[in-house]
Amino acid sequence: MTDMALPSRDRARLRRMAASNAGLLVVLSLLVLMLLIGAVVSDRFRTFGNVANVFEQSTGLALVSLGQTLAVLTGGIDLAVGSLISLIICLTAGLLDGDGTYMIPVLAGMLALGAAIGLVNGLGVVYLRIHPLIVTLGMGAVLQGVTLLYALGPVGSVPDGFDALAYGTFGPLPAAAVVTVLLYVATALLLRSSRFGRYIYAVGDDGNAAKLIGLPRTQVILFVYAFSGFFAAVTAIYLVARFGSGQPYAGANYTLASITPVVVGGTMLSGGRGGVMGTLFGAYLVSLLNNLLNFLDVSTYVQLMFQGLIIILAVSLYVEKRKSIA
Amino acid sequence: MKRLVGALIGATILSGLCTPSRADEYKGAPRTFLFNPSPDVCFKDAAKYKKAGPYTIGFANAGLGDSWRVVALDSMKKAAGDHKDQIKHLLITDAGHDDAKQIADIQDLVSRGVDLLIVSANTEKALDPAVSRVMKQGIPVIMVDRRTSSDNFVTFVTASDQLEGRLWAQWLVEKLNGKGNVIILGGQAGSSPNEARVRAAMQVFDQYPDIKILDTVYSDWSPVKGKQVMQAVIAKYGKKIDAVLSTHGLQTPGSIEAFVEAGYKDGEIPPHTSADVNGALQMALKHKVADLEVGYPPAMYGLAIETALKVLSGAKVACTTQINAQIGLTHGDETASVPHPDLYIDQMVSMDGPPDMLVTGGMGPGYDPKSYKADYNQ
Repeated sequence: MTDMALPSRDRARLRRMAASNAGLLVVLSLLVLMLLIGAVVSDRFRTFGNVANVFEQSTGLALVSLGQTLAVLTGGIDLAVGSLISLIICLTAGLLDGDGTYMIPVLAGMLALGAAIGLVNGLGVVYLRIHPLIVTLGMGAVLQGVTLLYALGPVGSVPDGFDALAYGTFGPLPAAAVVTVLLYVATALLLRSSRFGRYIYAVGDDGNAAKLIGLPRTQVILFVYAFSGFFAAVTAIYLVARFGSGQPYAGANYTLASITPVVVGGTMLSGGRGGVMGTLFGAYLVSLLNNLLNFLDVSTYVQLMFQGLIIILAVSLYVEKRKSIA
Repeated sequence: MKRLVGALIGATILSGLCTPSRADEYKGAPRTFLFNPSPDVCFKDAAKYKKAGPYTIGFANAGLGDSWRVVALDSMKKAAGDHKDQIKHLLITDAGHDDAKQIADIQDLVSRGVDLLIVSANTEKALDPAVSRVMKQGIPVIMVDRRTSSDNFVTFVTASDQLEGRLWAQWLVEKLNGKGNVIILGGQAGSSPNEARVRAAMQVFDQYPDIKILDTVYSDWSPVKGKQVMQAVIAKYGKKIDAVLSTHGLQTPGSIEAFVEAGYKDGEIPPHTSADVNGALQMALKHKVADLEVGYPPAMYGLAIETALKVLSGAKVACTTQINAQIGLTHGDETASVPHPDLYIDQMVSMDGPPDMLVTGGMGPGYDPKSYKADYNQ
């Protein structure tokens, strides 16, 4: 690394931290605002049971968005996650088919399959030099087709007790949601404290410059898509525990939904800025918003509008912030 | 048109029967229960759910999306409005046909402290664990129109797909004197009401070796797609088609239109079947098509509210609560198995009403889904 690179690296780090903290600040303020509104309108909203309920409901979205955040940090995007989730939900339920004998190998195989499909996406981005949006969109269509060849309707079932993966508790807290927080903290530590984590930001900041100064751009890209595929598989296993069976379109809504917490949490779609903790709070924000709007008896269609408006509002705040830093 | 309306009014007065709203007003017990030959009918004792009112009832809807489901929801709101003294809140969520959202909606409704939950499940299996968990918490659940795969609920409020399928098929067999070619015009491939109706119809057709199923096509419950697929079928088989078994009234008008556009004159179009939808009845009368109407009434959503109150009063309820289906027929098309319908189709139809109106919604005369505002405790 040259002497010239140091000040620019410091500047980049400063920008990154400011953007990341701005994201957290905005998303936390919105969370507090919603909690206050909810507490005023309904005494049942502010019960511990309801807060635990929202915490649990955020799990699926938080898991898939964790992988998506890394893809977006490199300036890419993973639009295959929804179809990958559908495929793995169907395969898991179909292969288990109510029998727990081969549960461990099946689940391990599914996680490996998710990571492998993600890796193929990464290879397409690196070696075919096709934009990640196109590679993953194409892969998504292929995977949805494979899923429908495997199962046109509901398929398979899970063994007794498998639902503990989705509904189990640690004391009064939903276990899956607690594990999700730990996964986020571990990933945040990886991004902040490890050399490889910093490479992910560097590739997103300026991929060509990162390559020129000798950073392993190829490995970074392959890693983030494999990571995203892996977490799509984790999400699928969580969902199959929740549904108890495979549904060929069960993951469809997660493709675009997984991007909402990422951008609301302050990660820039242009890459290089943001972080996973913002995404986690972004996922809480989406779940809390749906819960609050249900408490307020707001129609589903208006709920969709609110989600859209919050994305636009949050992102517009970050754009302002970035301009002022620049 | 004027002459036709005049004739209809005349026929109604002459017959001495009620106005067209009679289709909405039948309060009799369902025939599927009265005629059920089985000595054992499943009942559940709801004594453990007995509670003093007024109640908060939650309804987790799979979603809207077609006129049947819009009328059904209005029918539920109307019933809640009729029992304002007993129902202090009817809380309604809509999952937009998304399993994950419906599970979250169910959890939110429980969080809001409902005394009883009504669910129309988006899919049978995926909602089963969530519904079972609510029952485990001691909150009674009533399924309506779409059930979950296990029996972990108090009762399932529905109409009989089997009555529809068997009666349609038997009537067609008799209209064809036991010999002829039938097209099955389905709704959505793989959807449970469609498959159940076709399976029941086949139990009848299979008993008649000279009845041949020429083709089975799907309309996705849409008159537009129904017309497209029937145009292709008419082009392929032409005059060989002797009858069309349509698994609901939603697609029937499209089929009749396809025959008209293929050059069939009034009175030449093969017999059709239908359910619930005004447009199917209008087209059958306009083009003199023999039509047997067996309803799948959206009024069952109103019945779900009545059933909820029954459960909360601790009364015994049947494991399956069926709403009665009206049987309607075009004049002159009586057969041995359908010697006289509940109503003739000209008594059920609203010739001036919109084609997508449901004649079996239980909403009374003058109901218009576009302008209807229910008065109930939200």
